Amino acid sequence: MRRETGLTPPSRAPLSISDGEGTGVRPSAPSPSEMERGRGGEATPSRGGVARALRDHWPTPVALILVAVVWEAWVRWTHTPAYLVPAPSAILGRAVGGWQYFLGEATVTLAEAFAGLLVASAGALSAALVMAHARWAERAFFPLAVVVKVTPIVAIAPLLIVWLGFGPAPKIAVAALISFFPILSNAVTGFRSVNPRALEFFHSLHASRREILLELRLPHALPYLFSAYKVAMTLSVIGAVVAEWFGADHGLGHVIILANANFDMTTLAAAVLALAIIGISLYAITDALERRCLFWHESNLSTQVDR
Amino acid sequence: MDPGQSIVVREVSKVYDDAVPPIEALRDVDLTVEPGRFVSVIGVSGSGKSTLLRIVGGLTEPSRGSVEIAGTAPRDAQHRKSIGFVFQDPALLPWQTVVANVELPLRVNRSAHRATRYQTDDLIDLIGLQRFRGAYPHQLSGGMQQRVALARALIHAPSVLLMDEPFGALDEITRGTMRYELLRIWSQTRKTVLFVTHSVAEAIVLSDTVVVLTGQPGRVNDVVPIDLPRPRDESVEQSRAFLDLQARLRAALMGD
Repeated sequence: MRRETGLTPPSRAPLSISDGEGTGVRPSAPSPSEMERGRGGEATPSRGGVARALRDHWPTPVALILVAVVWEAWVRWTHTPAYLVPAPSAILGRAVGGWQYFLGEATVTLAEAFAGLLVASAGALSAALVMAHARWAERAFFPLAVVVKVTPIVAIAPLLIVWLGFGPAPKIAVAALISFFPILSNAVTGFRSVNPRALEFFHSLHASRREILLELRLPHALPYLFSAYKVAMTLSVIGAVVAEWFGADHGLGHVIILANANFDMTTLAAAVLALAIIGISLYAITDALERRCLFWHESNLSTQVDR
Repeated sequence: MDPGQSIVVREVSKVYDDAVPPIEALRDVDLTVEPGRFVSVIGVSGSGKSTLLRIVGGLTEPSRGSVEIAGTAPRDAQHRKSIGFVFQDPALLPWQTVVANVELPLRVNRSAHRATRYQTDDLIDLIGLQRFRGAYPHQLSGGMQQRVALARALIHAPSVLLMDEPFGALDEITRGTMRYELLRIWSQTRKTVLFVTHSVAEAIVLSDTVVVLTGQPGRVNDVVPIDLPRPRDESVEQSRAFLDLQARLRAALMGD
């Protein structure tokens, strides 16, 4: 109750209005330090550190180790040959022993995936911006985007190789095509999902489209963009790998195809392990970034309540 | 101290043509708010009171008639940043602190070159949230959020303050204290205020004049001057004059 009735006695003097050209004007956002202070301990789970992480997440590694142990025991017990099912110890041994090799190939695939993601982002974000402002643009171009989305990527990958050659270009193209749609559809929804009263407040001040975009639409779209990128990041890696199957001399996709041809399941599995690590890392990085940027959003506020 | 500017509404009618069948929201509404006055518009749901406020604020165009703020059209007033709006939904930016939210009007439409503004610290002191300067909206109660919205509507020193049921979403007790908070803040700033509400008591406590809209389409049924002495506090709601006014306004709302 006390919070509602004012924390200080009302000041008697009338409010002073300062001269706009004088020293008093500070028409900018608060300084980074101010923002930081307000955010401190808000949603970043920094307190507790390692001990807390262990307490919260111990079931994950335990389950993984359990699966690996059962798998290993089964392979040894049944004397399954490595060209059918390699043992976890063999896969790990190959991965660790050839880590420079796998790292090099992974870098190639990652570079293609990221280039594709960049191309897709540039296209999808600018298209979404136009569509969010003009319904006709959405009606004209969104069906095209749906066509791109429903076309099986495997079906057009060989075609892209014919068109773009054996260099990195077709891999980037496939990665871009596969990650284009989730970014586009989420961004359109995000740019539109502003609080209508907040939008009217901006209109009542005659704010420009650019100001409304930067101050209102873009921050409002962030939760949507983060879910888009969680999907698109991993998809772009898949796109790059698939494109590598159809003609490449580097990359994890190339490693997989080569190992498959040689019945070298251990190397194949090690490459898959590398892909899994890449996927999990990308997801974890996006997720951590999201928690940091979206401390104000319902999705994070509700998890705080859960704890 | 900026005394605020006048609001003149002349024979405003509004028909929503895109609805089937078309909805007539307002018919021939005349209304004048003198500079520095506090005028409330009351009416039951659907009487067009919010539509009227949106037309005054330039968010909706009237079908007929005209509105002038300080002698110019609402759109021009928007251009000059002469309007401060408070809605029922505080509509704060959830990713920004109290300070950044209050200062939002200073960051947009900068070409308007308004020579005057309030000091952020002064306004935050005035709304009693100095301990919450760095807080985010989700850390504030509904009443506190609405006070931030009020400070945000004042920071650019607008000539008129337009309020659309600003306490409508608050609980009864908070609502009862917020009206005196608003009175106190208004007495320090003396803006021209057009205030829309469906609470008779709120309208009486706050206003110099209460305009009653009735019917569908809404028309001005009565204009009641409130001659209760200022400053007013909670005791005013027990006074004889208050009860008489309340009875009169209730009757007018029923359409007598």
